Formats: sequence, structure tokens, C-alpha cells
Amino acid sequence: MNVLGELALWIALPVALLGAILGFVAGHRQRGDLQLGAERSVYAVFGLTILASAGIISNFLYDRFEYTYTYSYSNRELATWYKIAGLWSGQRGSLLFWLLFLMLFASIAVWTNRRKNREFMPYVVGTLSTIASFFLVVLLFADVNPYLKLGFTPPNGAGLNPQLQSYWMTIHPPMLYMGFTSFTVPFAFAIAALLSGRLDSRWINITRRWILLSWFFLAIGIVLGMRWAYEELGWGGYWFWDPVENASMLPWLAATAFLHSIQIQESRGMLKVWNMALVLFTFTLTIFATFLTRSGLIESVHSFAQELKIAYIFLAFMSFIVGSGIVLIMWRLPKLKSENQIESFLSRESAFMFNNLILLGILFAVLWGTLFPLISEGVTGTKITVGPPFFNRVNIPIGLILLALTGIGPVIAWRRASKQNIKKNFTLPVGIGLGVMAALFAVGVRPFEEAEGVRVFSQSHAYALATFGIASFVMSVIVIEFFKGTRARARIENEPWPIAFLHLIERNRRRWGGYVVHAGIVVMFAGWAGSSFNVNIRQTLQVGESAVIPSPLGHDYKLTYEGMSTTAATAANANSNLAFQLVALLRVEKDGKVQDNLTTEKRGYIAQDQPTTEVGIDSSFLEDLYVILSDVPNMRGAVQNEPGAQTATFTFLVNPLVGWVWYGGLFIAIGGLIGLWPTLTGAGEPARTPTVAAARPRRPVPAGAAGD
Amino acid sequence: MSLVVGAVLLVAAVILFILQPMLSGRRVSLLRDMDEPTEAESRRRVTLLALRDVEYDYATGKLDETDYHAMRRELAAEALQALERVESEVAAGPGGAAPALEEEIVRLKTGLRAGTTCAVCGTDNDAGSRFCAYCGSPLVPAAQANPARPGTA
Repeated sequence: MNVLGELALWIALPVALLGAILGFVAGHRQRGDLQLGAERSVYAVFGLTILASAGIISNFLYDRFEYTYTYSYSNRELATWYKIAGLWSGQRGSLLFWLLFLMLFASIAVWTNRRKNREFMPYVVGTLSTIASFFLVVLLFADVNPYLKLGFTPPNGAGLNPQLQSYWMTIHPPMLYMGFTSFTVPFAFAIAALLSGRLDSRWINITRRWILLSWFFLAIGIVLGMRWAYEELGWGGYWFWDPVENASMLPWLAATAFLHSIQIQESRGMLKVWNMALVLFTFTLTIFATFLTRSGLIESVHSFAQELKIAYIFLAFMSFIVGSGIVLIMWRLPKLKSENQIESFLSRESAFMFNNLILLGILFAVLWGTLFPLISEGVTGTKITVGPPFFNRVNIPIGLILLALTGIGPVIAWRRASKQNIKKNFTLPVGIGLGVMAALFAVGVRPFEEAEGVRVFSQSHAYALATFGIASFVMSVIVIEFFKGTRARARIENEPWPIAFLHLIERNRRRWGGYVVHAGIVVMFAGWAGSSFNVNIRQTLQVGESAVIPSPLGHDYKLTYEGMSTTAATAANANSNLAFQLVALLRVEKDGKVQDNLTTEKRGYIAQDQPTTEVGIDSSFLEDLYVILSDVPNMRGAVQNEPGAQTATFTFLVNPLVGWVWYGGLFIAIGGLIGLWPTLTGAGEPARTPTVAAARPRRPVPAGAAGD
Repeated sequence: MSLVVGAVLLVAAVILFILQPMLSGRRVSLLRDMDEPTEAESRRRVTLLALRDVEYDYATGKLDETDYHAMRRELAAEALQALERVESEVAAGPGGAAPALEEEIVRLKTGLRAGTTCAVCGTDNDAGSRFCAYCGSPLVPAAQANPARPGTA
């Protein structure tokens, strides 16, 4: 299996190259036989990639530590599930994993289009195969071959980083990778549109669902990553503006901008060049994200110098994509003319464009903050850390404008809106927003902090108050939209309200699914704003002692350290990957009433020096109580269960509204699914007049002349 | 030994799978498909979607009445124009359109002008209908100067 897998990887490269050549030649010469061969090569590469991936998984399952990759990310005691996930736990494997998903989506795209959109397909297959070839070149020639051998067989592996031994970690990377790779399909269709010259909105119609799918996977992947960080990293937060996090956010931001701007092209025939540029940019960012996270660049530019080969290959490929994309767009510029102009500044078109600018603004701020330390290190030799303060200072104000736009856009009509209408539609939501702010101010959410009787202006509290206000404004806009839409439909169709509501969504799932996503974003913003009221108290306790933690919501938590249990490595758990486990038990009382028991742990893993921490979280709708076992001074004694060795230092956090971040993620997932759900009845889109369409004879359309 | 045989078989299978069409002359079409919408058709579809949005925006109070009527007229005219382009595309096709098809087009055109044929799904409705009996879309007479406001009366 392992030998076969490695062999498959080597065979896949010439096959992918052949597919690329066959595809482009088939398109250029209009050769249907070559195209069939090209399409088959896509399936063949997919099959070979499956073999190669299966080989890697078998290396993990059969503990073949003679392979560098298996040795670095596994050990005999690792649970089977994490051995399977070994395929994507490290750089080498995850590049193969990338390719596997790429070929999966490429095969789906080729298969579903085997009888339609034929004029695009040669170039689509050519583009997809080119990208596959690139990843195969990286895998085989950039010193990252997952089949590389050590030259000897160590008795056991070095083990998987314990923080990666979490079920979130087994689903979060696949989600992100699916998001990255599925965006290749819209990109391939865009290139096909440019090459074939069919530059109407057809390529967007075909790939709309793919774009949404990719966006959806990225969003879910990012939220799962946040959830993993919150539960597993044990510092109480979920987003640190870490380069790896940023790398996943960049393509998502670009894809979000793209999802909005294609609507203007579809409905108004505008922004054609912009959309082409944006699809090119988004795709480049998916490659860039992989490059950033999988090339060792982040750790340090200097340690990275040893891996220059992979960097050169990636940089060359990204330059090739951007360069050829720009050349193609320039070449087709005359055909990419806008069919309409913006009729009025007060129109949804201009709101959409503004939304695009804001999203790109955030994108460039994040990109700059991510790259600056690397550039600075490369130039001056010292590494500067750009941390959360920079990102927050830049992104919070821009983010709030974006949030407000989420509420403004839907209320403004396409083409031309009038001032009176806007006034009429905004009065109530703005009133609600202001009302919420006033109410929150009254109950104590104020833009200043009082310390020893002195009032100090607090920017984070001011931002939080503004966020709550804007969020309520947007939420009321969305609720009113649903209400008005349902009312209008109930009246026009004479339907009962619940039916009218369902039909309303069904008839235009993109719009209403989009609004549900917006609602999710709003809830998430509120969750983020809540973090500016976090409480963080560190305290050392003996068994039996208590700590009193005040919640920003006004009540107190009393946590009593009840004791510590220990499990040392024994014959009974010899097969387990755990060396020891220390579990501290705390009783939680809220305003004097016993509420819950929480546990927090220190764990030692076989083949890992540093013990890891498992946090205890008590979640409720409005806040999380989050307990970290920060330190056990006499760890050895505690493991041996010696009397008096159980003294422990805890960090107690109260995180208000943190749950709303996950609820928001859930809304986003539901909204995305509403938009993605296949149309069964065709009710979502007006059908073409069947008689005329069916009777139209098949006409040959030469690729170059199509779309004129 | 078995490994070498396996490898050779794998390579041979892959090569055969890909080259077989070229050797046997099997091919796939690279032409635009029959039931794929043409540009004129997509134009028409987009116009109809825009019409739906205008209806919705008006019904939810986002558009002024004058703007609404003006835009509806413009869009209905655009939809008709797009349909005429679809026709001419069909007529320009090899062999021209069948007589039955021409009749069909005339019927649709008259229906659309009179506001009885649904612009969204193509169903013929009784004269005087304001909404399509099949899909429920508002019926828009292209020639009518001042259409009735939906939801009233």
C-alpha cells in the first residue's frame, strides 16, 4: 500500500500535466476526443491521489516510523482516529490532502458538467490540471514528499502535538481545505470564460453555487478553528490574529466581497472587470494561505531560509497566476465593458460597492499586519510582532462600518432609492438601535471604567456600546425585512402567514439565506463586543479554599477547590497515549447557590515533554465561566498523590456573550445552507419559456466567437 | 516482483484510460448545449428577476410610486426586447424556425403585451388576471401605461 501510494504520486504528475495540455489544446483546436482524454485524466489523477493518501494513512495505522512524516506526527500509542487524521496533521501530509480535495472537487465539476457548459470545459479542465500539477511538483520536488524515508527505523514516533489531539482539530482543517480547494472551480471557470471569450454572466451563473460552497466551508472552518482555540489552547480567547488564523480569513474576506459583487454583475451587468480581478485575487489568496501556513515562513524568515525551494516554487506559481490572469483580463478588456451605469448614489449597487471596498480594506489591513513582521525581519533582521492591538485598532472601526452597511444595504432599493423612503425605512431600526444603547447605558454598560472613584474613558467599552447599538439596528432591519416580505406575500397571494413566510424564503433563497447569514454576523459581533468586559483573575488555592469571582453581569461566582485526582501511567492504561492526568475539581456557586462542578486538568502525554492543560468551561446563554489549571507547583508530587502537593494556581475567567460567537456561527451555517440547498422545483428562479428553449436547434458556437 | 507487475499494470491502466478516446475516435461535444440559455435568454431572465425585485422593493416600501411605475415599464419593455432577441436568435439558427414555433412566439408575444402570459413561467392566464395561476408571479402588461398596484383593492 505504501509503495503503491508513493508510486501513484509519481504517476499522477505526468498524468496531470498531460491533462492540462490535452485540455488547453482541445479548447484551442475544438477537439472533442482530446477533451474526453483530458477529462479522464482528471479522474485518473483523483484516483491516484486517493491511492497516495491511502498509503500515507496506512503508514500511520501500521506505525511505519521509517517515514519521516509518520515519525514526526505519530507514535504507537496514538488513538486510531488521530492516526487517520495524520494525513492532515503536518505540512507534508496536508499538501497531499489539499491535492486530494482539489481533485475531488475537480472531478465533481467535470462530472456534473459532462453534458453541459461544454464550451468552457476544455479550459476548465486545463486550468484545474495545471493547478494539480503545481501541487504535485511541490510534493515531489520541494523536499516535502510525505513518503520521504529517514534511512533507519526508530522504535517509536515523536508523537502528535497534544493540542492537535482534539476532535475539533480533526474536522476544522478539512473544512478549511475544502473551502480553499473548492474555490479553484470558480477560478477555473473564470479563466475558461476569459480564454473562450464567453464573457457574459454565464460563468458566474454556473459557479455561483461553488462560490457559495467555498465561502460556506471557509466560514465553518474558521468558526471551528475558533472553537478549537477556545477549548484547547486554554488562554480563554478564540482569536489571536495569529498568521495562521489570518491566512484562513483572507480568502474568506475576498470571497465575501466576491459573493456580493457578482450580484451586481448578474442583475445589472456591471463590474465585470472587478469580478474577474476579485476571483483571481481570491484564488491567489487560497494558494497564499497554504503557502503561509505550510511553508514554514511564519515561524521565522530565517529558519525558513532552509526551505527556500518550496518558497520559490510557491512564489513562482503565484506570480504566474497573477501575471497570466492580468494578461488575460487586459486582452479581454473590450469585451468586459459594463452594460449599465449606477443610476443613483442612493442605490443598492453603490451600497454593494461600498461593502466591497470595506471588505477589501479589512483584507489589506490583515494582510499587511500578517506580512509586516516577515518583511521587517527580512529587511532589518529583527522580528517585530504585530499583535492584536494593531489589528483591533484598525479593524474594529472598519468592521463597525461594515456591520452598519449590513443593515443599510437591504433597505435601499436597487437602481434608485429616494430619501423619503430611506428615512421612512430607517426611523424604526435606528430608533431601536439608539434605544438599546440607552438601555444598556442605563444598566451600566458605559464607555468608561471606574477605578477608585476615578472615571477613565475606555475605548473598548465605547466600541462595545457602539457595537451593541449598531447590531440592534441591523437585527431590527433584518427582522422587519422578514416581516414586511411575509406580509406582502401573505397579502398578494392570500396565504396564511407561516406558509407565506416559507414561500417567501423558498422563492428567493439567496436573498433570505443572505439575511440569515447577516443575522449570524450581527450575533457574532455582539459576542465579540462582549469580550471587552472579560474578567480575568489568577489565584493560588489550597484544597478546600475558595475564590470569589465577580461577573460583569452583577452576580458573583464562588469557586471552591474540592481536591485533585491523579492517574499515573500504570499497566492498566499502558495502551493509552497519556502518561499522567491531574484533575482538579471545583464546586461552583452562583450567588450562594450550588450550580455545577467544574474540572480542569493537566495532562502529560507520552513522547511530549510539556504537560498540557484542559480547561473547564461552564457555559450559559450570557456568559461562560472558564477555569484554567495554570500551574501545579509540585507536579511530580501531585501525580504521586503525595499529601500537601495539591496546591494549584487557577486562572478564572468570565467571558460575557462568548457563546454568541458560536450561535452566530450556527446562524451563518443555516443561512449558507438555505442558499446552497438544491432547488428541487425550480421555484427559486424563473424558468425559461420551455417551448422556445426546447425547440431551439443546436448551433455550433466557435469558442472565440461566443458571447459576442 | 509482484510489486513491479502491479506498478506496470497501474501505469498501463492509466495510460489506456486516458488515450482510449484518441485511439478509438470517441469524442465529447464542445458545443454550446441545446438547453443552455443564450445571452439574450439570460438577459431576459435577469430582467425578470429585476422585475421581481422591483415588485418586492415596492411592496415593502423601499421605492417611490413614481419610480416604481417608471422602472416597471422600463423593465417590462426590456424583457420584451430580450424575448424578441431570443426569437431572432432562433430564426437565425440553421434552417430557421419551424412554423409551429413561430406561431408559438406570436402567441407568447401577444400574451405578454396583453399581460395574460406569465413572463416568468410562460403560462397563459385568463384575461384580466393579475397574478399567474401557475407560479403566482405578478402579470405585467408591457404596453400598459399605469399598472394597478399589487396588494390593493
